[in-house]
Amino acid sequence: MNGHEILPYLIIIPLFGAFSMPIVNLLGRKAREAWAVIISGATLAVGSALFYYVWGNKSIIVYTLGAKSPLGQGVSFPIRIVWEVDLFGAIMVLMVTLVAFLAVVYSIGYMKHDTGLDKYYTLILILELGMLGIAITGDLFNFYVFLEIMSIASYALVAFRNDTWEGIEAGIKYMFVGSIASSFILLGIALLYGQYGTLTMSYLAVKLAQNPTVTAKVALALFIAGLLFKSGASPVHMWLADAHPAAPSSISAMLSGLVIKIGGIYALTRILFSIYGHSVSMKTVGWVIIIFACITLIVGNAMAVIQNDMKRLLAYSSVGQIGYILLGLGIGLAAYGSQTGEIAMAGAIYHTFNHALMKALLFLIAGVVIHQLGTRDLNELSGLAKTMPKTTFAFLIGAAAIIGMPPLNGFASKWLIYESSAVFNPILGAIAIIGTAFCTAAYVKVLYTFFGRPNERVMKARDPEGSMLWPIIILAVAIVVMGLFPWQISDKVMIPAVKSLENQLAYISAVLGGA
Amino acid sequence: MDVMGNIVYPIAGLLGLYGFVSLASLLWEGIDRKLVARMQRRVGPPLIQPFYDFLKLMSKETIVPNTANYMFRIAPVLALATAIALLAYTPMGFTPILASKGDVIVFIYLLALISFFKIVGAISSGSPYAKIGAAREATIMVSREPAMMLAIFAIMWRLGKLGVDKPFSMGIFYQHNIWEIGTPMSFVGAIILLYVFCVWLASEIEVGFFNIPDAEEEIAEGLLVEYSGRYLALLKLTKALKAYIAASLVVAIFFPWGIAGYFGLTGLSADVVNLLFHTLKVFILLFVVGSVFRAVTGRLKITQAVDFLWKNVFLASLVGSLLLAMEVIM
Repeated sequence: MNGHEILPYLIIIPLFGAFSMPIVNLLGRKAREAWAVIISGATLAVGSALFYYVWGNKSIIVYTLGAKSPLGQGVSFPIRIVWEVDLFGAIMVLMVTLVAFLAVVYSIGYMKHDTGLDKYYTLILILELGMLGIAITGDLFNFYVFLEIMSIASYALVAFRNDTWEGIEAGIKYMFVGSIASSFILLGIALLYGQYGTLTMSYLAVKLAQNPTVTAKVALALFIAGLLFKSGASPVHMWLADAHPAAPSSISAMLSGLVIKIGGIYALTRILFSIYGHSVSMKTVGWVIIIFACITLIVGNAMAVIQNDMKRLLAYSSVGQIGYILLGLGIGLAAYGSQTGEIAMAGAIYHTFNHALMKALLFLIAGVVIHQLGTRDLNELSGLAKTMPKTTFAFLIGAAAIIGMPPLNGFASKWLIYESSAVFNPILGAIAIIGTAFCTAAYVKVLYTFFGRPNERVMKARDPEGSMLWPIIILAVAIVVMGLFPWQISDKVMIPAVKSLENQLAYISAVLGGA
Repeated sequence: MDVMGNIVYPIAGLLGLYGFVSLASLLWEGIDRKLVARMQRRVGPPLIQPFYDFLKLMSKETIVPNTANYMFRIAPVLALATAIALLAYTPMGFTPILASKGDVIVFIYLLALISFFKIVGAISSGSPYAKIGAAREATIMVSREPAMMLAIFAIMWRLGKLGVDKPFSMGIFYQHNIWEIGTPMSFVGAIILLYVFCVWLASEIEVGFFNIPDAEEEIAEGLLVEYSGRYLALLKLTKALKAYIAASLVVAIFFPWGIAGYFGLTGLSADVVNLLFHTLKVFILLFVVGSVFRAVTGRLKITQAVDFLWKNVFLASLVGSLLLAMEVIM
């Protein structure tokens, strides 16, 4: 098995699945659901194989569209679109395919009562496609295209239940804000292209290093602004708190678990490390990110405490957790090249993956609650543990993991971030701890409700059917199992991922190697 | 891998400790009741009354309220399991079985987790009385732990400066102790911290001022109101274990000296002798902080207790820690 050969199937399969969905739909509901599960399952298989290949061979896969070599004939620079997957990208691919597969399986039961489901499954596959594209691309404009594919699919999915007022409201808000953010990014790309005349990330990195200009810095500012929007960092998190509650829960799980990380954190990391690398002052950029991270941490977690709407609480908690990831990223930049920076960055990547699992789990559970009870008001959900034991137990695991309780996976990743931030600057460590205190209060509040005295409404609830329960169980088991081997995962996967990310030269020479 | 050294011996040691500590802590409860009775000019129950109580509770019918969910039944088991796991990290006259770098956090975490499981179990019963008790327990827990954490981290950090192989491990107290530092400032700091830890211990085992979450008279047994039979027996045993463990921490920090060295003992026999001597010290400490305090004071209101823990104990912890850290910082 060769990484180069399987890489295109990561795009081909979901694209084929999405485009053939309207035709398959003619065969009826069962065929449509089976098709969506088969397609996302096949994508998961390809994604796992790719991850295994990249991790096992410790190599960077480069795939050129349309030719064998990225370089043009007789010229020494890349003229074609390249895809470039290092270990960090491969981790993201695995994360996206896994959570997307579980969300699709979950949708079978969850979306049963909705109409227009051929469009739903088409959109969900396109959303997955867009995210995979972002994770594997090595071309800046290609990145923008995939970012827009992902964004537009998520606008449509947030507003999918267009008979509810909040779906429409959140969809419009998300679309307006998201489009502005995307245009920032496009403007940044245009500036870079005008200045350096190339769109290949690795070649752009070379050009930037040779001739750092003000234009490049302006472009960087635009990238950071746009991508912080997409990741839901704090002053610009308002779309997120509306979009996540309003979307169907399978979509909330993907939005919160994947979209804000691939479209925000991953893209930001890739641009900062692989393109800008040493061309700008890493310390300055790092501190800019850290400032946003601290605001995000406090605002997100503190706002989560006062929510009464279950999904809104989870959405604000996502904002708070993005704060941790940004803090790790910021310290990784500001302490670039040191042990501290490496640990912080490993913590950020690890937490990205862990949070995808935990938040997907929690949102899927919120979906079950809404599906079974028709409300997400926490005041009406008292005593849910009596009638939905499996669901609430999974929630207990998810909540404990997100707070960072030791035998679960959230502990190790948060620990890396705490440790590095305390070493880097004790004040940042204290801010991280304060954020966790708020986060704990928010989740304990939910648990307090779930395990309380059952009210009348709750007495009629039951655990959901298999297609909704199994994704939850799989995620809960994954959280527990990953929690048992935290340092092995950190040493064998996350630290090498950081090393490959920091090794900008390898990233560049993988494309330009032949030249 | 060394199967015997890494798996079999620690498990055997843990089981042994569990057996010993269960007996010792229940026995202490008997002694405690006897002593308090004597202070009040009563005869009091026989010393092994807690064992009778335990067996009686185990044999009684267990009633589960119909508003209770599964956590009501799991929580007592989890609380006891956490307490047993905690024994592996507790210094009891010798370096704990699973001592490693940074295990103080595991210790604090597991100690808090016992209370957490008690709270979850109480909430899960569906009884409003239990819910009030749980809210009080949570309030007290949040107020008492910061003072202890600050103090223990300050002490461990200071002892780490004296040179140890595993910083922030519970075994550190048997390499250096707080009195060894020797300067007047650190001595005063240590005395203040001893006060902090004594109040913390009293609030951890909920006696005297801090007998609030249970509060038999006001809210009908509070936290444990719905528990009966086997589950109540498990929770009572957990409570006894926790008292022993919390007292062990204070003893290890402030009075870690063993006596095995004087008899020229080594190996297992030294550990056993030290464990017995440690148990004696634990009993003495529990007598001062538990029995006497329980006999001479009533409980505070919850608001007063929170005020006391923040405005008095936490402040004392801050001052003590600063005094202890002073000559390193300056």
